[in-house]
Amino acid sequence: MSRLRGLWARFRARRVAVVGLVVVVLLAVAALGAPLFAPADPLAQPDPVALQNRPPSPEHPLGTDRFSRDVMSRLLYGARVSLGIGAAAALLAAVIGAGVGIAAGLGSPLVDQLLMRGVDVALALPRVFLLLLVLALWEGAPAGVVIVLLAVTGWFPTSRVVRALVRRLREAEFVQAARALGTGRWGLVRRHLLPHLAPTVIVAATLDVGNIILLESGLSYLGLGVRPPAPSWGNMILDGKDQLFGTPWVAAAPGLALLVTVVAFNLLGDGLQDALDPRRER
Amino acid sequence: MLTYLVRRLALAAVTTATVVSLTFALVHLAPGAPFLAGAEGRFVPPETVARQRRSFGLDQPLGTQFVRYWANLARGDLGESFSRRRPVADVLGYALPNTLLLGGAALVLSLVFGIGLGIAQATRAGTWADTTLGALSLALYSVPSFWLALMLLLVFGEWLRWLPLTGMSAAIGAPATWAGRTLDVLRHLVLPALTLALVNGAAIARFHRTAMIEALGADFIRAARGRGLHEGRVVLRHALRSALAPAITLAGLSVPALLTGSVLVESVFGWPGMGRVAYEAIFSRDYNVITAVAVVAGVLVALGNLLADVGVAWADPRVRRT
Amino acid sequence: MTSPLSASGYRLTASGYRLTASGYRLTASGYRPTAIGYRLSALTALAIFLASCAPPDARQASVSPTGGTLVILTAGDADVLFPPAGSVTTSADVAGLIFSRLAELTNDLNTVDDAGFRPSLARSWEHADSTTLVFHLDPRARWHDGVSVHAADVAFSFGVYRDTLVASRFGPNLAAIDSVTVRDSLTVVYHFARWYPEQLYDATYHTKVLPKHLLDTIPPARLANAAFGRAPVGSGPFRFVRWDAGTGIEVAADTSYFLGRPKLDRVVWRVVPDFGAAVSALLAGEGDALAVIPQAELRDRVRAAPDLRLVPYASNGVAYVAFNLKGRGGRGVHPIFGDRDVRRAIAMGVNRTAIVRSLFGAEGEVPVGPTARAQWIWSDSIRQLRYDPAEARRLLDARGWLTRSSDGLREKRGVPLRFTLLLPTTSRARQDAAVLVQAQLRAIGVDARLEPLEFALFEQRSAQKAFDAVFQSRTFDASPVGILQLFGSAGVRQSNYGSYESPIFDSLAARAIAAPTRAAARPLWRDALGTLNDDAAAVFLFSPPFSAAFQRRFAGVSIRPDEWLATVAEWSVPAQARLPRDR
Repeated sequence: MSRLRGLWARFRARRVAVVGLVVVVLLAVAALGAPLFAPADPLAQPDPVALQNRPPSPEHPLGTDRFSRDVMSRLLYGARVSLGIGAAAALLAAVIGAGVGIAAGLGSPLVDQLLMRGVDVALALPRVFLLLLVLALWEGAPAGVVIVLLAVTGWFPTSRVVRALVRRLREAEFVQAARALGTGRWGLVRRHLLPHLAPTVIVAATLDVGNIILLESGLSYLGLGVRPPAPSWGNMILDGKDQLFGTPWVAAAPGLALLVTVVAFNLLGDGLQDALDPRRER
Repeated sequence: MLTYLVRRLALAAVTTATVVSLTFALVHLAPGAPFLAGAEGRFVPPETVARQRRSFGLDQPLGTQFVRYWANLARGDLGESFSRRRPVADVLGYALPNTLLLGGAALVLSLVFGIGLGIAQATRAGTWADTTLGALSLALYSVPSFWLALMLLLVFGEWLRWLPLTGMSAAIGAPATWAGRTLDVLRHLVLPALTLALVNGAAIARFHRTAMIEALGADFIRAARGRGLHEGRVVLRHALRSALAPAITLAGLSVPALLTGSVLVESVFGWPGMGRVAYEAIFSRDYNVITAVAVVAGVLVALGNLLADVGVAWADPRVRRT
Repeated sequence: MTSPLSASGYRLTASGYRLTASGYRLTASGYRPTAIGYRLSALTALAIFLASCAPPDARQASVSPTGGTLVILTAGDADVLFPPAGSVTTSADVAGLIFSRLAELTNDLNTVDDAGFRPSLARSWEHADSTTLVFHLDPRARWHDGVSVHAADVAFSFGVYRDTLVASRFGPNLAAIDSVTVRDSLTVVYHFARWYPEQLYDATYHTKVLPKHLLDTIPPARLANAAFGRAPVGSGPFRFVRWDAGTGIEVAADTSYFLGRPKLDRVVWRVVPDFGAAVSALLAGEGDALAVIPQAELRDRVRAAPDLRLVPYASNGVAYVAFNLKGRGGRGVHPIFGDRDVRRAIAMGVNRTAIVRSLFGAEGEVPVGPTARAQWIWSDSIRQLRYDPAEARRLLDARGWLTRSSDGLREKRGVPLRFTLLLPTTSRARQDAAVLVQAQLRAIGVDARLEPLEFALFEQRSAQKAFDAVFQSRTFDASPVGILQLFGSAGVRQSNYGSYESPIFDSLAARAIAAPTRAAARPLWRDALGTLNDDAAAVFLFSPPFSAAFQRRFAGVSIRPDEWLATVAEWSVPAQARLPRDR
């Protein structure tokens, strides 16, 4: 417990990290509470002729897009997609990576070599190209498939880090002691390794969220992610790009939202990392 | 050093083979097929489709096609493009140099920008200038590249009208002299290269800053300062060398992102590169072009990683022993 | 999109890098030439680039009566410049300038009367009898390599277009022509199976004349892929100069063109894949012409620009939602669309005017049927279903589709009134329209799901009839004959994806095609299309407004609705208006 308190103290000491945490929490609240906060239905088109591309106004705080849909509402509902996919994919990637890392770290040298050579090759695969290929060839993939794809192409760095950590911990005294006491492998993992791995994995996942959010928005911008008319920040930018010079806010708002979100997650992740590893210099 | 290189090359070969095989499998297993679409929805009779499939060997079992593809590849034959009706090598031959130009320029600019920013921050570590620059680099690192591209286009292309909006050059045959044409291409290169360079450079800057700070705190630096060397020399000649490794690593690792990820930036600026070719080929199920792009992507990625490792090993001799 | 985690063990943080368990430490290791030298010179170079944004030096414009360069901005690069094979609009545009036909339509697109054509490669023609058409070639006509155009070229071209190994998409259009024979070096004869009014149209419109002396040694199956398609030789007003793949194509005026050299010097196509960027490039003066500008805001911007003007022309495109009257796969009866009243109700529930206004502003058009204003059968008096949501609701209620209270959607015996609309991802306009249609149908209790598919897959599913409703789009030829393919019983196995079969429509259309004059044909077409609309075989949603944008310095611009560059040989740039790049 005191460890946690120490962690929190170190985390709190870095103001930017706290800012990151606050922003992330606010985003999560906004996304979850979209039905409450959104001024309108994100799919509603009150008047596709007269209300197209209106600039910001009291009824439409961020204006309307070319179907007269309220941009603010679409932004809030789009947050659900972007944040949801980002968080889920990062989590899944962390779990897979940790699993493989533990298997390699605890396994025989042969298993270790095999897995790590495989990871080496996989790390060199062009991620964007393959994602593009799969999503374009199999059209209309539901969000779940997108999440799995993003996770499956992104767990490799985590596995390396976890494996190295597990290798180190294997030699530690408390592990030797537990082994001597006859603790089974699974118990070893659960009770002794995971608590030490958890911080690293959590940090990896948090830092990954930002990257995944950017990837997903890029894929949506190419028309491969979330399908219209459902809003996602990437496809909102795609919608607004043709009117960029006339009505820039339709594309600018989701871009800024993406920027703020990714910055927040990066700050949060850095803060967590610094809090967990006091050896950092300033 | 030699065994190290050989190992890395072997890894590169395996990776490329994996990428190509994976692409081949994905492309042939996906739903949809080439030759089906006539123009604007004109009906294509099934006999025509069947005949075209036969002429490209697509009616053979997948295993046979796979083997034949690798046999052709070994001879340097990348096949023919279904939709463009010319050898794939031709198609890539037009697009690849453009992507390399953009990627190369972006790489150079991002190193310049990133290292410069890192040095600027490190020499002012702890001051408000450092914090501001740090915030700038964090923002640039977190921004979606295609959105940054759109915003830059809006500002420099539309509002200020300083730079051209699209493409790699003006109308064909506009400037007659070689110098004029080069300048024209360079003017078109500025915005797309800048977009990529800002995002990647910010990432490099963040690495480089800490490396520089660490290097500047080392003993030998204090010794150099104690000897009375000018601060600029201290920073740039002595500290920089030891701090370059992470920047080079990251630069090398960003080569794949610059190339395969540049599809977004190429699409915003209409840059006629591999990203565009790959995108169109995927949508028209042009199998040969898609697999050729995978070959190129795999090779370039492997090269990028290799460059990064070699660069680091060269910069820090202690690494070579591992 | 870069990855913050590297393979060699660094981790990116807000304050720099972090060593991880698999990484290594850095320490001093000696001297190194600095990066600052390089940095400064790079920055200087950058400054020079930006400073050199001055326009290219002005040249003395030559004061000759002909001259000028037309830079056309196009979204897609050409695929192949071999006329039977090209399937992209840019290919057709370029081929249209390099190759010639026997005779050309005039701007009012009268395909029925011989008077609607003007001579091109053929100087004159006559109907020897009801099934024979004789063309006399102009002896001055030459290929761009100097060889004279021979009647054998015409016969050869016909053979190529009809060859199944070439598989030209125009092949089926030539079905009514039995054979083409050569009478002498300047006389060629077309033999038809029977008499019909559009014989001259069929003989001249679909085929461009190809050079036999350059192509007859190539096996037909390889013709489309041959080098000729990348460096074509034709007999038209412009000759091929250069093709930079992905960037653009250049053609230059053929100064010895037998009908008089074109008034322009060059025509250049620049590829700009992004449409918004193309309009911006046009406004910035980086291009001279754009073939279509569908969005109203962009048209307004062009209108506001002092050096540009908009030339509207009759649209020849229609986008429509076709219902699948049979079950999936073309068998049985569709549970929703097999019912005529339900189809009518859905058609009445779509506010086509609002969709057209929203997408295209004031200039878009609501189609009266499977025809566009460019075709002479267009008439505002064709019977159509009005937008009437109240009537739509009444009809649906009457057919047993009752509204359930939970979400306002209709259902019948537990089955919801839901269908999937297929559309291609390649068409922004259709995607936007689909979103609007979905919202409108929701209001009358119909749940339309959108399924965007990439193009090849979309075509495949359409042909296999694996859909409920499909959002198709057609660019029509000048002749209305194609409508039979789309909605006649004979086309059920081909382009009549919805399997609409009506003997009344078939007989009306057949009689209309056989009618000897346009005046006789029009009422028959009116009736035929009215029948189609009464049966609600499809909802004809929009005809995009065709407005080409031109730089004002181009004079003599007129647009033939089916091929906007058909009259380009007559366009010119007056000497005093020429720009430096017009040299």
